[in-house]
Amino acid sequence: MVHALSEIRRILVPEGILIDLRPILSSWPIEVLSAREIRETGRIQDLPLGLADDKAANGSIAQAEQNGWFARQTEEFFPFYYSWDSPSEMEEWIAEEWEDFIQLDEESKRATRSAWALGDADSIVRVKVKMLITNWKKGISGDDE
Amino acid sequence: MTIQKDIERNETRYLHRFADFAGKRVLEIGCGEARLTWQYAKETRSTIGIDIDADALRVAMIDRSSDLENKVNFSRAMSEQLPFSKETFDLALLAWSF
Repeated sequence: MVHALSEIRRILVPEGILIDLRPILSSWPIEVLSAREIRETGRIQDLPLGLADDKAANGSIAQAEQNGWFARQTEEFFPFYYSWDSPSEMEEWIAEEWEDFIQLDEESKRATRSAWALGDADSIVRVKVKMLITNWKKGISGDDE
Repeated sequence: MTIQKDIERNETRYLHRFADFAGKRVLEIGCGEARLTWQYAKETRSTIGIDIDADALRVAMIDRSSDLENKVNFSRAMSEQLPFSKETFDLALLAWSF
């Protein structure tokens, strides 16, 4: 990934901007949302591969910053919601799309199904993904100068 | 299976708070099906989205509206070897790609 950051630096004009936008694993909350309330019903379990990916990404960007390739300007976290009509749809999606990175424990599945079944007819299920967004300015120093 | 992503539009709101796209030459790395691209591309001078997933890029091309044909393009490429000359872009967006 460090090489990719070097490439990005190369194609940017002087003082060009890099926006890094990515999810960060942090036992994302599972919620049942109805007209009346938002109820947290469990937490996603982070798997070693996902955590290793985050660590590698953080290490690469730290290396790029240390090299003077980019200077951090602003950074913030924000929530990004994945929403499903039912718990079974959420479970299916997670098993198919995110199986390498996260998983659901049985207690969270049970609590989510129960809260959804007792909720309003329009209740939905959602996962609150923690997103990181950073604005980086191309640095004036670097290995290729 | 019905899934909805970011109904609240938090991502778009934060993206515009962190980046000024107006008149910029933008490279989006890891654009996928261009879900995010369509949230800002109209404002840019030009946008190129790259991804290694050819199927996703086909979807992006199909979804491209006629008014963006001269402004937005997609290419299959890897971030470790960007097929562009030095200092071609004002802004790079690394979207969900690490």
